[in-house]
This record gives sequence, structure tokens and C-alpha cells, in this order.
Amino acid sequence: MYKREIPLLITFLSGMVAVLEYYFPTDATKNAFTVLKNWGIVIAAFALGFGAVNLFIVYGRRFRKAPNPVDRVFSIWLLVLLVITALVGVSLSSASDQYQWIYNSIYLPLGATMYASLCFYMTAGAYKVLRAKTLDSTLLLITAFLVILGNTPLSAAIWKGFFSWRMWIFDVIVSGAYRGIRIGVGIGSIVLGIRTLLGMETGYLGRR
Amino acid sequence: MGLEKVGALPRWLVMTIVVVLMAIPLIKPLGILPVISESTMDYYNAIDQLKPGDVVLFDIGFGSGGYPTLGPASIAILRHCFSKDLKVVIMATQQEGAVIYPLIMDKVKPEEVYGAKYGEDYVFLGYIAGVQTAMAAVLGDLHSAAPVDYTGKSIDTLPMMANIKNADDIDVVAYLTTAGEIAEGWVYQAYSRYKKTTCGGWLSMMTPSLKPYYDTGALTGMLDGIRGAAEYEKLIGEPGDAMKTTDILNLTQLWVLILVILGNIAFFAARGKEVS
Amino acid sequence: MIATDISIWIAAFFTIAATSYVFKDNIIFKFAEYTFIGVAAGHALVMGVENVKKYGWSHLKGGEIIYIIPFIVGVLLYFRYHPTYYWLYRYGIAFLVGQGIGLSMRGMVHTDFIKQIAATAGPLVAETALGTLNTIIIFILTITSLTHFIFTVKQVHIGTMSWLPKIGRYGMLLAFGAAFGNTVMTRFSQYQGRMLFLLRDWLGIVAP
Repeated sequence: MYKREIPLLITFLSGMVAVLEYYFPTDATKNAFTVLKNWGIVIAAFALGFGAVNLFIVYGRRFRKAPNPVDRVFSIWLLVLLVITALVGVSLSSASDQYQWIYNSIYLPLGATMYASLCFYMTAGAYKVLRAKTLDSTLLLITAFLVILGNTPLSAAIWKGFFSWRMWIFDVIVSGAYRGIRIGVGIGSIVLGIRTLLGMETGYLGRR
Repeated sequence: MGLEKVGALPRWLVMTIVVVLMAIPLIKPLGILPVISESTMDYYNAIDQLKPGDVVLFDIGFGSGGYPTLGPASIAILRHCFSKDLKVVIMATQQEGAVIYPLIMDKVKPEEVYGAKYGEDYVFLGYIAGVQTAMAAVLGDLHSAAPVDYTGKSIDTLPMMANIKNADDIDVVAYLTTAGEIAEGWVYQAYSRYKKTTCGGWLSMMTPSLKPYYDTGALTGMLDGIRGAAEYEKLIGEPGDAMKTTDILNLTQLWVLILVILGNIAFFAARGKEVS
Repeated sequence: MIATDISIWIAAFFTIAATSYVFKDNIIFKFAEYTFIGVAAGHALVMGVENVKKYGWSHLKGGEIIYIIPFIVGVLLYFRYHPTYYWLYRYGIAFLVGQGIGLSMRGMVHTDFIKQIAATAGPLVAETALGTLNTIIIFILTITSLTHFIFTVKQVHIGTMSWLPKIGRYGMLLAFGAAFGNTVMTRFSQYQGRMLFLLRDWLGIVAP
């Protein structure tokens, strides 16, 4: 019972307090929910360490067993950086100049560029894939073309109609289609949420 | 030369032209101003109509991935808030928000430019874990959820926080994010639960899926990525990095369109050859 | 003027290293990748520790002994890695999942379901002819894109009513084309931010 039923009961109770506070916002429900919300922040904070633990397990193993010496060097480099960042942040605080230096020099440029360099793949994709082969791809191509054109200030300067077309596509076509999608996603999420609270979905509990 | 060959430009050439076209407008700006869209105007008006002393809860919900786009937007919005003598409670629901905050404030310069004082006109609560849990906690009972600011100082000692206890004391909730969970979360927690005026900004690619909230009035204003950021800079009359970046879009997007046209010419030429 | 600050040079190196993958996979990119993962995990750990200190420990120091519970539950999360007592982590995960579902669902029913349906069910006639046309198109696209996702009643997709989900499909394809157009702009604007950094902050050939 304590391995499965009690966690399911915890799921139900923690979810129901949140729902009750919304539909019956009395002092009792508000106070109970305030405590649970604050607990949730602390528990979520504890969960932030999972990434570091997993990396130690995976890259520690790779450092010991990888045949390629480059992999071993990079694995230990990763773990050393993890420890240095954590030590600086925990001992001096994330608001310190030293921590900010690590973030500005290493994390920010890498994080920004890793996501941003997808633009080159988008260019290659637009060149090789965005072709009017079938009706489906033609429809995609038409609106993609008009939106890319309308997105630039230059097109609006040449003819304001490009911008108007772009806005019309978003205000009518995108609004209509995505409203249907959002209703569908909403229904699905609500059903899944109810099933999870009632203990019918237990995937999040992991192995039996 | 067969027309189908225009679909076989070498990859290195295509990429190099992208890089060159990004560099040209930076060195020699085209200076074409963006057209203001209704959603950005609504975001601007939601803050502009506030009176001095009104409270804005501003969430930095993005990290390094969104900084090139949403960083300039944050700077523009905060400049607007400080220029109107609003009280700003800044928080971060994204882990990197806590370290992005100093980068933004270094450019906004609230003390130097607007005479704002930390603790009296603005406060930064830091990163609060839990996404929607953090949102609900701050809106429900701010002092209980976030008893200290980002430096660890008790918020009870900060003068402006004496009158800001929960959602009732907040006039507008404004956020910028790269995460769908955060974007939806503020709609559920701020608008649905407390009926607060909520304004959201995000990367352009998120706009289609989040636009239904703006269309139905759940969001009062919407900032559509770099375009929205440039429009906001134009509205407050302080051009910044967003307008520079939008200038670059003129050439790079044109190159994408040329490639699409070339690709289709090559496709139809090859198909015509097969048929004949 | 070219930057003299070492942190800008490091940031520029990592920006170029992360971009180099676009042209060819190489060891410099691999070094940048491992660096990013290490620092990112370290940062998550720092944020977790700070949150536990600020939002958990501060309550305990203030005499609220009941806050020992989230501390215990948070530590129990790490039993996930124990071969025998792994099930202890379910208490923490059950709390987080339950609260997350409760918080989402209570707002989702209102904004994703009721408000979307109410907006669609309004009058189709607007003040202008174009406004009426737009409202009718939005109505049609919302209904038809919803019918596209009905899989439990197969008669919707075959037979006389199959044109309904087909219109929805075409509407969604038009909307996805617009989404693609916006995605292209997003990725380009992100990399353009890095170009601005390289040319202005690093090389100094663009005016500030």
C-alpha cells in the first residue's frame, strides 16, 4: 500500500486542494493551499538536482569505460565544470560577479548560439523541402511565403498590403485553425488530468 | 544550362550568403521602421494606462536561448514602466532568469535614468522553482511564498512591499517567455484565477498556438517575438537591439524567399524534363 | 574598437565554436557542447540549492516546523537511484504531479475550453462585410479542425461527411505554413542577436 496506493492518494489530495481553492475560495482552502504551494516550491527545488546526479552517473561511467581517450577527457571536463559552477554559485551566490562572469562568458553565448544556429538548417530546409509537390505542401508553401514576406519591414515599406496579408492570415486562418487545436488539446489534457488524479494513469510512478 | 541546376547550390555557399546578409545591415543599417501591430499596441496600452504607483508583476521567463529576442523586449518594457513611475515586482520562473536580470538592468539603468530606487520602486524576487506552483504562490500570498529577495534580504524590510501582499495589489501581470508552460501558466493563474490584466510575450514561433488566448481576451496584449520587441522600442521612442535585428531580417528573409523560389523552379524544371 | 575584456573573447570563441557544427562536425564543437552541458547542470544545481535555502530554510528558521515535511520529501526524491527503496521517490513525484495537474486543470477548463467555445459560438455577422467573412471563416476552421481529430467515430472520415475534416486539414496546413514562416523569423532573429554581439561587442566594427 505504501508503495503505490499512498502516492496515488497524495496525487489526488494535492491536486484536489488546488482545484477546490479555485472553485471554493474560502479561508480554509486558501490557507491549506498556501502551505501546499510553498511546499511545492521547495520540493521542485530539490528536483533541480536530478540533472547533476544523472550527469555524474552517465559521464562518470563514460570516463571509466569509454575506449576513446577524447571522450574520457571531455567527460571529466564536463564534470569539473559542473563542480566549479556549483561551488562558485553555492559559496558566493548566483548574484555574485564571479558567477555572473561564468554565465556571461560561457553559458549565455553557448545557450544562445545552440538554439540560434538552427537558422542555417531552416535555410537549407526551405531550399530543399518547401516545394509545391502536392496540394498539402502547396498550401503550406503559400502561407509560409506570404508570412515570411510580411514579416519584414521592407515589404511593408514597398507595399503595405504585404503586412495586411500577413496580419489577415494570422487573425483569421491561424486563429481559426489553432482555436480548434487548442480546444482539442484542452479536452485531452483535462481528461488525462482527471484520469491521473483518480489513479487511472500511473506512468509517472515509474517501474512497478 | 538546365533550370533544375538552380536547386543544387552548394550548402557552404547558401550558409555563407546568410552570414554576409546578416552582417551588411549591421554595418550599413537600412533604417526601415517596423509597422506597429494591434497586439503590441494593446500590450503597450495596458502598461501606458497605469497611474504612477500602480504595480506591475514582471516575469523573466526566458534564458540564454531567448535572450537575443526577448532581452531587448524586457529592456523596452521595463523602461516604459520606470518612465511611468510604476512599482515593478520582478521575478523569474525560468532558471536562467536570475542571471539574466543583471544584464537587463545594466541596460535599463533604473537609478541613473529614472531615479528609481531598489526596494522603493522595484524589487527582484529571484528565480522561484515550480513554474505554475511559483505563479500561484506569489499571486496567492507573496510574502509567504517569497519571504526574501534575490540577495536573501527579507522583503518585509523593503518599503514598496508593505502594500503588495497578493494578486489584489497587482494591477498588471506582464511576462516574456520561451516556454509554453510558462506562457499558459500565467493565463491559468493570473487571468483565470484572479482576472488580472495579463500581457504575454514570446518567441514568434509560439504565436500561433498562444494567439487563441489573445483572441478571446484572456491576454490583453501580446508581443510577437523580435517584431513585437522592435515595435515596442518604436512605441517608447528608444530604438535598441530589436530594431537593429529587425533591420537584418529584411535581407535574410528575402534570401530565404529567393531560395524557396529557386528550389521550386528546379523542382518543376526537373519534373518537366521527366514528363518530356 | 576590438574588445579587450577576456570574457568577451571567451564568449566570442564559444559563439563561433557552437556555429561551427553547421558547416562540419568537429572537435571544437564537441568541446563547446560538453562545456555547455556541464555549466547548465551546475547552474540548475545552484538554483535548486538557493531555492531550498530561500523558500524552505527561511520558513524553518522562522519557526514553521511543518516545513520539515517538504525537506524530507525532497530528499526522498533521490531514492530513485536506490535499487531497493526506489519507491520512496514516488511520494515527492506524486505531490508535484498532483499539484501541477490541479493548477493546470482549474485554469484550462476556463481558458482552453469555455472561452474558446464562447468566442466561436458568438454572432457570425460583424459590422463590416469583411468582418463577417472573417468570422465565418474562423467558425468554419475551428469546427472543421476539431472534427479532424475525431478518431472514435470512423464515419466522420469516410463517407458523405468526410469533406468536413478535409477542410479542417487544409485549414491547419495553411496555419502550419504561417507557423513555419514565424519559426524562420525566430531562428534568424536569434542568430542575428549573436551576429550583433560578434560585430559590435567583440570586433567593434558596428557602432554601439
